[in-house]
Amino acid sequence: MARGELSRGLRRAIDSLGLPRCERSIPVPRTIFRPTTARCLSTSISKHAELVSETPEKFTAAPPIDFDKQDGKERGKKALLRTLRVIPASPSYFSAKPTFTGDFINLSALLRKVATLPTIPAAEAPKVAWKTIDQYRIMVNEPVKTQRYHKMVHILRRLNCIHPSLMPEEVTQAMLRYKKASQPGDVKPKPGVIDEWGRAKGVGRRKTSSAVAWVVEGEGGVLINGKSLSNFFPRLHDRESAVWALKATQRLDKYNVWGLVTGGGVTGQAEALTLAVAKALLVHEPALKPALRRAGCVTRDPRKVERKKAGHVKARKMPTWVKR
Amino acid sequence: MIIRHLVFRQGRRALAGKSFQHLRRFLSTEIDSIEASAENNIKQLQSLEAQINATIAKPVPSIDSVTHATAPSAQATDSVAEQYHLFKQQQQLIGKLGSDISPHYQPHTLLNNPPSPADVTLELLLASEAHQGHATSLWNPANARYIHGIRQGIHIISLDVTAAHLRRAAKVVQEVSKRGGVVLFVGTRAGQERAMVRAAELAKGCHLFERWIPGSITNGQQILGRCRTKVVNEKDEEVTGFEEQLYDRAVLRPELVVCMNPLENYVLLHECALNNIPTIGVIDTDADPTWVTYPIPANDDSLRCIQVIAGVLGRAGEAGQKQRLEAAEKGVITYRPARGLRLPNDPEDQSPSPEENLKDTDGWAEKLDAAANHEGDGKRIKVVA
Repeated sequence: MARGELSRGLRRAIDSLGLPRCERSIPVPRTIFRPTTARCLSTSISKHAELVSETPEKFTAAPPIDFDKQDGKERGKKALLRTLRVIPASPSYFSAKPTFTGDFINLSALLRKVATLPTIPAAEAPKVAWKTIDQYRIMVNEPVKTQRYHKMVHILRRLNCIHPSLMPEEVTQAMLRYKKASQPGDVKPKPGVIDEWGRAKGVGRRKTSSAVAWVVEGEGGVLINGKSLSNFFPRLHDRESAVWALKATQRLDKYNVWGLVTGGGVTGQAEALTLAVAKALLVHEPALKPALRRAGCVTRDPRKVERKKAGHVKARKMPTWVKR
Repeated sequence: MIIRHLVFRQGRRALAGKSFQHLRRFLSTEIDSIEASAENNIKQLQSLEAQINATIAKPVPSIDSVTHATAPSAQATDSVAEQYHLFKQQQQLIGKLGSDISPHYQPHTLLNNPPSPADVTLELLLASEAHQGHATSLWNPANARYIHGIRQGIHIISLDVTAAHLRRAAKVVQEVSKRGGVVLFVGTRAGQERAMVRAAELAKGCHLFERWIPGSITNGQQILGRCRTKVVNEKDEEVTGFEEQLYDRAVLRPELVVCMNPLENYVLLHECALNNIPTIGVIDTDADPTWVTYPIPANDDSLRCIQVIAGVLGRAGEAGQKQRLEAAEKGVITYRPARGLRLPNDPEDQSPSPEENLKDTDGWAEKLDAAANHEGDGKRIKVVA
């Protein structure tokens, strides 16, 4: 086996050694002029004729060896190698998490520097979403302990409490590294628009139902999926909850509602409409938001049917225990 | 506010004082006189009020318009920033005024400006409580030669021995730093962080103030394999292009370990002993001096003492680094260069010929050789205190 590999390797080596030579030899025949009219049978004679007839290709000999220069180069390289040593990139090398330890030391030093600046209560400090431990771990790629990271976040919170009018630029820059990419208040929902026919659109969901409602200024007409409210919802409570946003703000006779609702049951559809109508109403009158919030029309109810689990009769119900 | 309080208090007192009379007079039906007295009381209060108002309205005269910056801008400065700047200005102007304070202990000076080995005196050690040992029942008899005596049930460490050992340790640190070695400062007790970081900063070494991860030396490739290393030249400038070679290289080990609390770092010291890495340790009367190569008998429970020792050793390392850099300026290399490094842009190395491919195993042998040599390197520096 080994011998075979060796021989193969050698052959390959010889091949690779041979290759450049072949390349070099190629241009030679190209330049040689071969007269088609040559009638000589012997090749040696024809070659002789060539040499006589053609001028040889011009070339320049290799330059003389500059021993000093080459030596100097080698010596320089060797000298450089003789000065190199390998050291840790960070003084926290032996803590096995040099980046984190470096960060912690830097932040502690920064806090020590700005500790005497006036502060504001933590409740009044600007809201900042710090990176979670997992995000930080991904950033530094080190096994950081949760408790240690909390200590660092504690320092960051304290830095954030410095009075905004005296916040040093240095601190702002240092804190950037630990902030999440998106901060609370960054994402603002697009304000709704009233189209050219005076309609405002709102979308609401509840359980598995989803509803779209267009609210127009009018005299209190309600059409759901092309039917009147009383036709669509047989139950009185559902009728009330569908237009609860208007009823709670006493605007039932001031707007017309045209809604589309799909999926789910009757209650889900009615309460999906509540949310849709409330959102559309908010486009017309944004000042109603506190009132609608108090009426419970602004927040989406996130409850859904819990999935059934294996080994359970329903989501949580266990089979009856039988002794034997 | 003050006036209202005054009225309240006075009124109540007046009522309380008169209550006796009040009842008596009520019985004797002298109501009008009571009314009159009440009126008088109110009049008195009003005059008092007027007096107080007059005194308050007067502006407080400034002491000196130059030094007293508040006088011209007496109007309320509601902005916090303005007030803060004003306070800073004031502090700068009048902060140094007053009585002259004789030299006293300022905790931060030990960290900001640590003492050098030449500054080690018995007074300094005594002031930093380096002499306090543990209760006599806790002692390790191996420390008998460092103990001066017993006072109030605790052992007293003899400070002349401490000073001598500290100076010797400082020389060791200096020589290792001069020879380009990595000095690791370990202090894992609460409050020792800053001293360790500062000492490592001075000596251009490493610090450790959290738990020593067992196996960082004996199983280093697993634990420190991800930590970055760099190649530097004699002037400590980073030389790039060796990243690939560093990736394959064995992890680094400290050339000298300075341990401030040997009792808690048994594993570290054991690993160092296994790998022939010399150690310096602060040995209290309850610690075993044989755990470390160069003991410094001192109180390891006093942060101040630890700060002094770390500072002295850090300064020694600083001196060693300075010597090394000075020698490098003159073209003298005081350390052993890293083995097995190849120049990254060498054409011979870039395109290995087939012959070299065959010889690859030899390269490995060389590397292993280098590793073995490195292990055998563990040079012991003999320094006489």
